[in-house]
Amino acid sequence: MWVYVGRRLLLAIPTLLGASIIVFAMVHLAPGDPISAVMPAESSQAEIEATKRAYGFDRPLPVQYLVWLGRVAQGDLGKSVATRRAVILDVRDALANSLVLALSSSLLAFVLGMAMGLLAAFRQGRALDKLASAVAVVGVSVPHYWAGIILIIVFSVQLNWLPAMGAANDPGVVEYLRHIVLPTVALALIPLGVITRVVRSAALDILNQEFVLALRAKGLGARRVFSHVVKNSAPQILTVLGLQFGFQLGGSVLVEAVFSWPGTGYLLNLAIFQRDIPVLQGVILVLATFFVLLNLAVDLLQTLIDPRIARH
Amino acid sequence: MAVSVALVEAPAVAAAPMSYWRTVAWRLSRDRATLVAGGVLVLIALSAVLAPWLAPYDPSAGSIRLRLAEVGAPGHVLGTDEQGRDMLSRLLWGGRMTLVAGLTPVLVALVLGAGLGVAAGYVGGITNTLIMRTMDIFYAFPAVLLAIAISGALGPGLANTLISLSIVFVPRVVRVAESATVQVKGLEYIAAARASGAGVRAIVRHHLLANVLGPILVFASTQVSLSIILAAGLSFLGLGVTPPAAEWGLMLNTLRQSIYVNAIVPALPGLAIFITSMAFNLLSDGLRDAMEIRG
Amino acid sequence: MRRLVILLLALVFPLSPIGPAHAQGTLRIGMTASDIPYTGGQTDNGFEGFRFIGYQIYEPLIAWDLTRGDRLAQLVPGLAESWEVRKDAPTRWVFKLRKGVTFHDGSPFNADAVVFTFESIKKKDAPHFDPYGSGQVGFRLASLVGVSKVDDYTVEFETNKPTSFVPYQICYMLIVSPTQWQKVKDWRKFAEQPSGTGPFRVTKFVPRERLELDANKTYWDAKRRPKIDKLVLLPMPEPTTRLAALRSGQVDWIEVPPPDSIPQLKGSGFTITMNSYPHNWTHTLRLDKEPWSNKLVRKAANYAIDRVGICKNLLHDTCIPATGVVYKGHPWFGKPKETYDYNPAKAKELLRQAGFDGSKHPAKAVHLISTSGSGQMLPLAMNELIQKNLKDVGIDVDLQPVEWNTLLTRWRAGFKTPENESLNAWNISWNFLEPWSGFGRFFHSKAVVPVAVNTMPYINPEADKLIDEAERTFDVAKQDQILARLHEIVVDDAPWIFVVHDQNPRALSPKVKGFVQPQSWFVDLTAVSVR
Repeated sequence: MWVYVGRRLLLAIPTLLGASIIVFAMVHLAPGDPISAVMPAESSQAEIEATKRAYGFDRPLPVQYLVWLGRVAQGDLGKSVATRRAVILDVRDALANSLVLALSSSLLAFVLGMAMGLLAAFRQGRALDKLASAVAVVGVSVPHYWAGIILIIVFSVQLNWLPAMGAANDPGVVEYLRHIVLPTVALALIPLGVITRVVRSAALDILNQEFVLALRAKGLGARRVFSHVVKNSAPQILTVLGLQFGFQLGGSVLVEAVFSWPGTGYLLNLAIFQRDIPVLQGVILVLATFFVLLNLAVDLLQTLIDPRIARH
Repeated sequence: MAVSVALVEAPAVAAAPMSYWRTVAWRLSRDRATLVAGGVLVLIALSAVLAPWLAPYDPSAGSIRLRLAEVGAPGHVLGTDEQGRDMLSRLLWGGRMTLVAGLTPVLVALVLGAGLGVAAGYVGGITNTLIMRTMDIFYAFPAVLLAIAISGALGPGLANTLISLSIVFVPRVVRVAESATVQVKGLEYIAAARASGAGVRAIVRHHLLANVLGPILVFASTQVSLSIILAAGLSFLGLGVTPPAAEWGLMLNTLRQSIYVNAIVPALPGLAIFITSMAFNLLSDGLRDAMEIRG
Repeated sequence: MRRLVILLLALVFPLSPIGPAHAQGTLRIGMTASDIPYTGGQTDNGFEGFRFIGYQIYEPLIAWDLTRGDRLAQLVPGLAESWEVRKDAPTRWVFKLRKGVTFHDGSPFNADAVVFTFESIKKKDAPHFDPYGSGQVGFRLASLVGVSKVDDYTVEFETNKPTSFVPYQICYMLIVSPTQWQKVKDWRKFAEQPSGTGPFRVTKFVPRERLELDANKTYWDAKRRPKIDKLVLLPMPEPTTRLAALRSGQVDWIEVPPPDSIPQLKGSGFTITMNSYPHNWTHTLRLDKEPWSNKLVRKAANYAIDRVGICKNLLHDTCIPATGVVYKGHPWFGKPKETYDYNPAKAKELLRQAGFDGSKHPAKAVHLISTSGSGQMLPLAMNELIQKNLKDVGIDVDLQPVEWNTLLTRWRAGFKTPENESLNAWNISWNFLEPWSGFGRFFHSKAVVPVAVNTMPYINPEADKLIDEAERTFDVAKQDQILARLHEIVVDDAPWIFVVHDQNPRALSPKVKGFVQPQSWFVDLTAVSVR
């Protein structure tokens, strides 16, 4: 098993490198010359020369890539063209906000999804199952940015219960929580649907296994069956949870746009309209790295729980 | 024992594809939810194809003086948008854009991905490693992020949206295709068919396709709803289709400013996306159940 | 378990739906900018930067009187008590500075600060040169070529030629504290801890999110010390977000509410303030490339726009139609020949004469627009309508939206850069606060990029003559007449697609009292109080 672990760790490296190549190439995809893409317009000649040297723009492409990679490894993601701040600072702040949102909506989706999925599996075919399954399908099909808008209309504009945007203006835990409720719900809808369906399906698989049926027929207590189901479906659920967390972290762009939540998605969106290539590169690279490491962690955790799962 | 069972199986399996698909069709016809979903999709597709004849107005024609008319306003059964254009017409025409933007990337991914994945799975070895590791790199990016990043770099427009979404979906299909191919490749009856002298083409046709195509198709159908949501999402952010085109995501964006005046009309494009997406999901669910695919 | 439920309920049903009580006398404003404008002195984001950052934290030597709404805002003494051009040297202006003024960091305001500020904008080899700030305001100070200290409270500016425009340029130069800069020796750090002489001082700066300012209790003008204790500025480029924030009590004041929501807001007790001001919203056309190089096509475009539809139906009377640089009734309006009413038939006829023919040989153009921004009103909706108007007569315009500050940056570089080469116009709103902003910087051949912002470029010796004459004239009435003649020429040449003049709608919560909306782009926040 440790061979497997070692192999997966090693495999993550070329994946990360490949991702970094794609991110590096973005500068050269955008119109205009690469220097103007990374420098503010009013830069003095001295600043431009210094940047040219630092980025190695006059050297061949592979060398440029290595120079860039070296800087990235040291945490230097360049300076934002729009705010002239170090990109790493902007990305760090935004990432923290997105992580909070992703964690809270993952929690919501996980708790509700597990509950509904297990409920549906244990009451297969009955009204509760149909209800839970219907909710799951709705969750998976709804465009979450639209759901966000509806939530704003209902809870913010009409009922005036919850704030419509952004992170809290005034300090305090309650304020912060009030601001996070609506974005959390909007972002949790799709994962909720997915988790419910996966849990239901995994639980049903186990429940329908012959020896479980036999055990139940013999009168095995409900609680023992329940814990057996949970334990054995854990690997699959974990995978899905991990993937969904990744989806929420990377896919929060649309929800953050609707709620003006100051996370990586909001930053990404702004950077696109500001044509701020260093910020774009920084955000995507950090998120991709996060995602790769997350997938790695999920894979390893899975193997730890159930060593039989040796993915090829 | 194994050999004799396999030999007995072989002719039955060779004949299986025909009755297998028939079985699938039979199962589908008994599943009410899937039938309804299928019917809805047919309706949506038809209305999109027939939009030029069904739409009462030109989707880009409108008078600013009639903007944001309520549902049921005279001459505009679903109201008008913020520029005064008829909502029904725009929804019908928008269906075309949205369906094209939703289906095309998945179709492209289906063809390309199945091809790459089956090749990787069947040939194995270095080819497999090369293809799969390259796909892994794209898998490093969450779907939405990749779509936005590529669209952001390429710029707005339908063509660029199709390209960026195709890039998002190909790796996923490749993974499913490769995995299914590898599993089937190792099955006993394939070895038996080989042993019995059946050519590669026959093996591929009868066994691989029947048993690999199923999971790939099911997977692809689950991605359609995501593709529709992503395509509309890109337009929502200003990265996909550009004004004055009618497309549900773009309509959602431009009508968003009007939710305080008229809450129903701005919700209509979102509702359309939702219904289409749900129909595709129910259909793919039904397909999976009928094909008895796991996972 | 029960406690958890109670906690959850407490989240969803808060005691006060408006939100927790905050310090009395805090004014929270939702701006249209996507980010906090530059706080390092010479601000960005166009005039919204001046409005909420520049003129609140800093001050110029000559300032705008923003306390009245019944007439166009006038220039009054700011950090300078008086100024005059030297009779013996018409290119030299002597400014007598105000005494007893201190910067937020405690250091005194004097002639050194003025010289330091000027050098930070104009002297490229100075250690305190601010390339970014200079890029923002340099072109506004086109006539000023030097400054010297006469004594601690007297400075002398030198101009490149005798010009009456000097006060109109000085008012854009915001005085920064040299002492503070020397402490940090870096403009970015300075921007995080700014020090000016204005009525508000920065206390907290969260990039992209918020800027918090305290009232400057030792502000030199005792009559204009702020009535509020605290000012909070929040970037909110989305109109619906601004509206939602105002309605839910997250902010007390928003710029440009969605016009559709104005009746509702009024009904719910919010105050809507509007006033005419020197603003126009146009598409500035590129004159050295087809299709806009053809004067008939430009006129056709101006006859194709349904301005009344925009003002009445789209924007609910928060603007008035524009058929020239200034509005009718302004002393510079004159008697232009073209009326530019909504006449698509005439537009098609003009296009035909120009050789373009609807579907067979349509005129095509690419226009750069913004998604939001100061004075840009509702750019996406308005432009979609204009695009349709133009399409209906046979002109195909492709719209490319970028963020506001990005648009300004690209505009200042002109059309001839690789990035901008494919463009045919920019949609930027202009001000005509004074002759230079209204005409000089656009229509003089010497104002071509990079000296100023004649990007089109508009080259007309007639216009040059009139602008020079206006600049030499110190008599305001005579100057008005000259500019009116210039206006008639410009309207006829149609280097822009004239669209509307904004009325600057704002929505205020009923708690906000004492605000007078001036006939200006800027506001005076010192008289405002929040109950």
